[in-house]
Formats: sequence, structure tokens, C-alpha cells
Amino acid sequence: MSRFVAIALTLAVAHIGSAQQTIAIDERLAAVAHLHIGDRVLLSSEPGGVRGDTFVVAAITRRGADPSEVARNAYRVRLHLGDLQRLLGAGDKVSRFAVASSNAPRTLAAINDVAFGFRAYPSAEIAVRTSKTFRVLRRFHWAIGVITIVASAIFLLCILLLKVDERRRDIAALRLMGVSRASVITMVVCEAALISLVGTGLGAIVGWIGSAIINWHYQGVYQTPLTFSLVTPGIIAFATVLSIVLGIGAGIAAATKLVRRPPLALLGR
Amino acid sequence: MRRRLAIASLTRRRARSLLAVLGVAVSGALLLDMVMLAGGMRDSFRQLLLVRGFQLRVAPKGTLPFDTQATIGQASEITATLRTNPDIVVVSPILGLKLHALKSNVTTVAIGMDGSVQADYELLSGSPVGARDRIVANQAFLDAAHTRVGDTIDVVAGYDTQLRTYTGRRRMAIVGLGRFFYTAAGESVIAVPLATLQAMGGPATADRVSLFMAKVRDGVDPDAVRQWIEQKLPRVSALSTGSALQQFDQRMGYFRQLAVILGSISLGVGFLLVTTLVTVSVNERIGEIAVMRAIGVSRHHVVEQIVLEGVALALAGTILGMGLGLITARAFNAILADFPGLPAAFQFFVFRPRDAYAAMSMLAAAGVLAGIYPAWRAASLPVADTLHGEAIA
Repeated sequence: MSRFVAIALTLAVAHIGSAQQTIAIDERLAAVAHLHIGDRVLLSSEPGGVRGDTFVVAAITRRGADPSEVARNAYRVRLHLGDLQRLLGAGDKVSRFAVASSNAPRTLAAINDVAFGFRAYPSAEIAVRTSKTFRVLRRFHWAIGVITIVASAIFLLCILLLKVDERRRDIAALRLMGVSRASVITMVVCEAALISLVGTGLGAIVGWIGSAIINWHYQGVYQTPLTFSLVTPGIIAFATVLSIVLGIGAGIAAATKLVRRPPLALLGR
Repeated sequence: MRRRLAIASLTRRRARSLLAVLGVAVSGALLLDMVMLAGGMRDSFRQLLLVRGFQLRVAPKGTLPFDTQATIGQASEITATLRTNPDIVVVSPILGLKLHALKSNVTTVAIGMDGSVQADYELLSGSPVGARDRIVANQAFLDAAHTRVGDTIDVVAGYDTQLRTYTGRRRMAIVGLGRFFYTAAGESVIAVPLATLQAMGGPATADRVSLFMAKVRDGVDPDAVRQWIEQKLPRVSALSTGSALQQFDQRMGYFRQLAVILGSISLGVGFLLVTTLVTVSVNERIGEIAVMRAIGVSRHHVVEQIVLEGVALALAGTILGMGLGLITARAFNAILADFPGLPAAFQFFVFRPRDAYAAMSMLAAAGVLAGIYPAWRAASLPVADTLHGEAIA
């Protein structure tokens, strides 16, 4: 488990003193602790709340879509900086500064030129450094995706081969009627491509419904507006191209094999 | 006879059967991986928790061990209270702190512990943490600080990078090389005597610890002791292995759900593949089956032969899939080894024979079920009509 991650703030509903200091709490905490705007709470940096301070709940916030917080399921209390420094006995210290700049590279260079004991990073770099969990998960999902695609490809290939093979009598009849081999192959390939296309369309609908269920489920479990599953046009395009290519491949393989055989042999004579 | 007929039927269309076996193998591999993921991850975590036999963790109230920077005050008093319980045989107070090695400029996690217990690490060479300034380091620290066992280093606590100030400084001798159970791969860690680390941290860590680990006497229910601790010490939360596993399930539930969903899909794909193949194969042999029935072969015999075909396909695919699954599980483990914050010894995919049996049984059952519909269809063919139809065709 990650060590030294966050400062723990224990919270207890207080019924003492008149508080001027205000805090904002997230809606999950409000629901669990039955807190409302205007309630007074005792915040302490230590479990047990021996050395704490009383605050008034001034706002209830909704948790942002931050992937790094999803699995932690931690509650969040926002304090004014000075209040938190006092509460922690941290003096005039902060963990970090966020700087908005119209010329980020120049500001970054200027800060790092004079920095002593600290360093400035562009937000994009911090995002990369802190998103290792998701990079690992992304690689894992890709690996699973590859296996799933291989399994689906074999399944699709098998089904299409069977489908074409089932038409051996029809193909024999067509050949006996004088239809050329090329026409038979084209017909079978078109049929296989059409089946793949219709199958992909149905699959996309099932996938979209599945994706909606996944989002609904996990957004409820983790109480976050984060989108867990996305069906993008790119993914649909990839699935369509893959299934059509496999369909055409299977169609060509099966049709070529069938038209090479004499029509009467296909009929079992 | 039935077996031979089933095999002959499958080998008649070799390419098709091979493709089906391959499809079942890939599905089987994914199914095995998902069964391994669903149970193995939990087992691995359980083994890690019990690696030194400590069944209880005591953390600051409302927190999980080392999940926050919160510490427990009056640690010696709590240690004494815990030792009054005759069911607790060993108590190991542990403090976590960041230390900074001055010369090498390396910041490391320091675990302050009772030298006689070694709850957090296994000594690989040298001596254990003992006297005041004798420490044990892991290989990652030795590499990062360019030191080795026997060297002496200057370390400071509460290091302020701007002002170059610190709360405590010590010259310490690295007396041993250890493997720490709960640290991530590549994370540098040193084990320091608890009293030394508490003194280095200044007033903020005086008589404070991050957690206590407790070993319960054999035959005693750890949950009963956990309840006793929480009753006796209201400032702490006690966690037994069972409750820790519950917390773990909550945090890592995603992987279990993923395993269930993907496992079900792969089982479904395997089932559909075998069903389709056996159904088509039966449709192609309708005449043949009708002839068998006409010459007196029983319905039971026909059903058995067709079900056997499904089982044979599923079994061949399963056996191939087991090998494939073990290879892919290793690859998945390698990918997830980089998962931040998890101990290096933690494994997501753990092979247990019962997982292999479970996956094999599920696929074999899918094979049997897959054969039942086409077998029933073949067995209930009207013999005379079918033969007539085949003759006209």
C-alpha cells in the first residue's frame, strides 16, 4: 500500500463554541456523516480529535472526475490554507503552488532558474508522472484486449467457414448452371462481408449497452462522474474493419476451396 | 466404438476441428487467467499479511496501516496494554518516516521497529537491526546510495530541502541486507531501531508509531482480540486478516469484477463455438445418422457419440488453453508488476491447482452442454423421412 500519502483529518460533529472558520466537504462525506450546511464539526489532525478546531460546513461539493482518487474512496474536506496550516502546525509551509501563466515555458524556466530546494513542472508532466496506475491498467487492458480479439477472430473465422461450407450444394448447382468460379467467389465473399458487417453492427449495439451498464455500475460503486468505458468511433471503426477483413478472408479461403472441387463431387456424386 | 466414431467424425474435417480447438484454447486460457485473477490476488495479499504470522494490525483510528501520515501517540503505553492480553504473544510497534542520506542525496523510507522481531523484513545477509544505530537496508537503497553492507552513512530526518535543516541526524552502520515484504519494487527502504527513529523525528514522533503488528496465540480467534483492542483502546482501529481482506476486496474489487465478466464471456465463447461446430457437423451427417438409426443403433448411442464430440473438442482446447493461460498469466503479472503502491511480492495471477481444475471443469461442462442440443436433435430424427429426403437430395 502507498505510504505517506495524505494527511489524515478526523472529523467529529461538534456542539461547542461559535465557529467562524468554514470548510467545504464532499457530498459522500455529507451523506455518511449526516452533515448539512451550517453544521459545526471538530477537525483534528489526530484520530480522537484531542487537539482540534471547530469549523462550520459552508459548502458541499461534488467529487470531480479524478481517476487517481477512484479506488481510494477517501473523503475530502477543503479548508482555507491558513486554517489547515494552523491545524497541522505546519507554519508557513505549503505542499505545492499552482501557477497559471500566459507563457508557460518561459515561466517554468524563470522559476527553475531561481528555485532553491524545489522545482517547477508543467501540469502535463505532472499528469504523466501521477498517472502510472492508469498507464499500467491501460497496458493490462490492451493485453486482455489482444487475447479477446484473437478469440473473437478465431470464432468469426470458424463461423464463416462453416457458413460457406454449408452452401456447398448451392455452389455446386450454380457451377453446374454455368456460373463462373470468379462469380461464385465474389458472391460468397460479398455474403461473408455482409454477415460480418451486420454482426459488427449488432456487436456495436451490445457493446454500447455494455459500456452504459459498466459506467452506470462503477459510477455508482465509486460515486464519481468518471467515465469508465467509452465506445469511440475509432473503436467501432477498428472492430468493423477487423471483422470485415476476417469475413472476406474466411470467405475467400472457403469459396476458393469449394470452387476448385468438381461440382458433382460437391454434391457427393 | 462410440469414441472411435466421435474421433473419426472430428478428424474428417481436420481444419475445422483444429480451428475450434484453437478457439476453445484461447477461451480456456482467458478463463484460467480470470479464475487465477479472481482468487489468486486475494490469496497473495493474505499470504503477504501472514508472512510473519502477525494476524492483527493496529492503526490510528479510522485509518488503514500506512494509508495516511497519522501516527499513534503514547506508543509505549499502548504496547504495555496490548501485552497485558495473554492471547497476544508478540507485539511489534512500527514507525514509518522519510530519511535523507546526506552524502548520496537519497531520500528513503525508514521503518522503525523492534530489532528482536523483524516483522517487516527478512534478513538476507549480515546482522539484524539491533543496537542503536545499526540498520538493515534493501538492495534498492544500497544501489541508490552507492553503499554496501558494512558502510557507514549519515542520515537525517525532517529534511527541509530549501533551508537544509533537519530534526535529527545520525551516523548509521549498515549491518544487513534485507528483503522488505511491504514495499513496492524499486522502492528504497531501511530498517532502523524504533527508538532511534523516534528520536530523530523530534517531538513530532516522540513515543509515536504508525502501527502495531500483533501475533495472536494459536487457537485464539484474532477477531475476538481485535474487538478487545478496540474496546480497550478507543484511539485506534484494529484490523484482523479477515477485515484487512474485506478492505482489500473493496479497493481491488475492480479486478475481481473484471475477472468474473471476462471469465463468463470466455466460457460463453467456448460454449458457442463447440455448439455451433457440433450442430453443423450433425446437420451434415443427418443421412449418416438416419442410416445408423435404421440399422438398429440406439438413440442413446447416437446421443453419446455426439456429446463425446463436444467433450473431445472442449477437452483438447482446454488442455492447450491451460498451457497458454499460464504463459499469458506470466505476461499479465509482468505488466501489473509496475502497479504503483503495491508490494513487490504481491501477485495478481497466482496459479493454484484448484483454479486449473475449476477452469477445466467449467469448459468440460460447457462441452457436454454444447453437445446436448445437437445430440437431442439427431436422436429425435424421423428415420424414414430423413432417409427419403437424403435419397432425393
